[in-house]
Amino acid sequence: MQHSLLPGALCAALLVPAATALADDGDIAELRAELEAMRKQYETRIRQLERRLSDAERAARTAQPPARAEALSQPMSAPLAPSVEQPTTKGASGAFGAVTAGSAFNPQISVILDGNYYQDDTDNGDGAALVGEAFMPGRGHGHSHDAEGDVHDHGGHSHAVAENGFNFREAELSFSATVDPYFDAAAYIAIDGDGNVELEEAYFDTRSLPYGLKIKGGKFLSDFGYANNQHPHQWDFVDQNLPYLNLLGFHGLQDTGLQLSWVPADLPFYARIGGEALQGNQEIFGATVSDEAQEEFNLGSTNTGPRLYTAFAKVAPELGRNHALQIGLSYAHAEQHQEVHSHTHAVHDEHDEHDEHDEHDEHAHEEEAHEHEDEHEHEDDHGHAHGDGVTEELHQTGLGGNADLWGIDLVYKYDAPGAYGQGDFTFQTEYLRSTKDLTVRSSAHPEQIGSSRKLTTDGLYAQATYGFLPRWKAGLRYDILGLTNKVSGGRSESFGSSDRWTLDVTWNLSEFSRLRAQYAYNDILVAENERERFNAFYVQFLMSLGTHGAHKF
Amino acid sequence: MKRRSILLAALLATTLGVAPALALALDVVATCPSMGALVRTVAPNANLTVLAGPDRDLHSLQAKPSMIRALRGADLVVAVGAELEVGWLPAASTSAANPAILPGRVGYFEAAAQVPLLDVGGSASRALGDVHPAGNPHVDLDPVRMAQVAEALAARLGQLDAAGASRYRANARRFAKAVDRRLPDWQARLASAPGVVLYHRDAVYLLDRFGVPLLGTIEPVPGVPPSGRDLRKLTGELRGLQGVIVHAPYQSPKAPRKLARDLGWPVRVLPMSPPLGADGNGYLSHIDAWVDAIAVAN
Repeated sequence: MQHSLLPGALCAALLVPAATALADDGDIAELRAELEAMRKQYETRIRQLERRLSDAERAARTAQPPARAEALSQPMSAPLAPSVEQPTTKGASGAFGAVTAGSAFNPQISVILDGNYYQDDTDNGDGAALVGEAFMPGRGHGHSHDAEGDVHDHGGHSHAVAENGFNFREAELSFSATVDPYFDAAAYIAIDGDGNVELEEAYFDTRSLPYGLKIKGGKFLSDFGYANNQHPHQWDFVDQNLPYLNLLGFHGLQDTGLQLSWVPADLPFYARIGGEALQGNQEIFGATVSDEAQEEFNLGSTNTGPRLYTAFAKVAPELGRNHALQIGLSYAHAEQHQEVHSHTHAVHDEHDEHDEHDEHDEHAHEEEAHEHEDEHEHEDDHGHAHGDGVTEELHQTGLGGNADLWGIDLVYKYDAPGAYGQGDFTFQTEYLRSTKDLTVRSSAHPEQIGSSRKLTTDGLYAQATYGFLPRWKAGLRYDILGLTNKVSGGRSESFGSSDRWTLDVTWNLSEFSRLRAQYAYNDILVAENERERFNAFYVQFLMSLGTHGAHKF
Repeated sequence: MKRRSILLAALLATTLGVAPALALALDVVATCPSMGALVRTVAPNANLTVLAGPDRDLHSLQAKPSMIRALRGADLVVAVGAELEVGWLPAASTSAANPAILPGRVGYFEAAAQVPLLDVGGSASRALGDVHPAGNPHVDLDPVRMAQVAEALAARLGQLDAAGASRYRANARRFAKAVDRRLPDWQARLASAPGVVLYHRDAVYLLDRFGVPLLGTIEPVPGVPPSGRDLRKLTGELRGLQGVIVHAPYQSPKAPRKLARDLGWPVRVLPMSPPLGADGNGYLSHIDAWVDAIAVAN
């Protein structure tokens, strides 16, 4: 049959010129197309036959088949589709490994680029910073920083907070490899737009412990909660949620130490239990102030580590292949936590300002609302006079103690049959509650030294995403900080909470590139009686170079 | 009832002091139903868990807690391999804290590592899409390669369970023979198949086996959906030819339908894997369905 077709094609080819004389242009085009199609079909067939022939020849030539390793380590320039049909003569051993292009590179390397265009309608364009500085009990600094307030600032480095306009958040370099039969290791290095380099994670992880045990050591993101161990480019939204941002800081619980975890076998559901001992070099939770501040406010030096401990448990019932639900409970304890509170007293010269105290004093404890005679002594260094006969005094209080953090998380994911994530649905929510048990170590009011302050703040976020088209995903998030704002046993502050609604649309052009637009309406408490309500808009790009990323749960 | 008879047999064997003819009930995890079918054929008494259904894309799956649970207790994981499951299997295996099933160990079996691959090498530039220079991983649609994989799998199972080794080998041989018996029929049916347009190069092993021309792919490069221009170009190239368009259920049906309308070709939606519960025969029926779909467009 193949043979009869070839002469047919030749005839057709010969007939074409004759036909041109008779046919109009349309017919010619049609004939040409047909001919072209036929030619293509024959070429395909002939190539196919040639290849089968050469394969057969090769198979006949090579009496002994080449070793498997040779077949796998062909150079990149090897021709496509060398379909060498060899009977497998591998003995009982077989190939234990994984066929991977990555075996040529050790370690596996990837770079993720994360940049955005940001715009908000606050007066100073500092909305992206404000969401991370929402007012809560114990956070003395609000809108306006002053020199003393900065001692309480986070570790002394800035976190590439978005400004109005173009921002390059970070280029994340990651290296990972199996070190030997005993360890895996990975390093993640982030370089922000200003060139600041930061080690996000660098850890080893055991791979051969028995009984479902694993030990991880180095600098890593804690497995506290659900969102904590995700890198920024893995988030469903451009920015971090309010509870994490304000109770743990931009990096979350990222610290140096050891983790032990256990995945029990033979349970009818998935479970993972673990704990961590960490050094305690934290920005917010379990933070210690600078050496100078420790001296100035009589807080004592930073204890030797480890100062921070966590415990977590996750369970996931069996819901079939396409649904997944995971519930987690987490706890963290910081053995040492230090804060410096600064607050201002407004003092009328007439000494009739008792009511105003409660408004202006951020920590209006009963005891603080007295002793104005003493306060005047500080006027020289701390106070300044208002034109209308009101004096404002800045008081700073040093507090030290410990802190606890509880977290509950719930994540549900549905993997739909649609193309490229169409119909996929996720729901994710977490509740965090932070309690700081502190003692006053220094104060403008000496009689308060030694008294205790218990500060409680909590927060919640809930977010959902839905794949409304292949490669397109929409997300909605509500997050709130300060459902509870308690200072010392049972006394609730009435200043309320900060919250935010966020909506985003993510377009995954391919596995390796992602564009996202995000809008948020923010209602952020910047001081006890001051709110900033603003709109914030992001357009973000994420580019993934190198190794295929992992689709972790 | 079946279980009772097995129990009875075991009881008999032990009371009679005969070495139990029963093989160990190994815990085996297969990533997809094709691999599951092989396991059922070679080791019918293994406790098998299949991680993904035939209607899901093995390349885009996400690691789930239930997968980690299954892998935690597994003696053997049977994957298609060659980076097909790269997004989720390494993540899930690592989290499962089960050293026995990590690559390089006896408990890790990859079909693609047992047979020669197509599409090996080539550019590693992602301008050409989601490329995997290690080779095209979709070996599970070639029945001849799958027969080879079955024999390698039998050898592996024999290493894990020496008592059952001869049984595994015999089962694999039986499967290979079943494939051999079907081959002439499949070859005959596909001898004059005009050719196939796929969405993705995921059925090339089947086409290559039976010499059916691959006339084109709907996605211009792997992992990148076609634009209108790509489709028009493809339509232009294919106009006047005969063929059939085949795509998987998780691939967007829009472009294949449009192409079919423009060319007047039939479209078939076929999964890469047989149904979840398939055994060796189920797998052969699955290949039958593919052969039917490709041959029908005469």
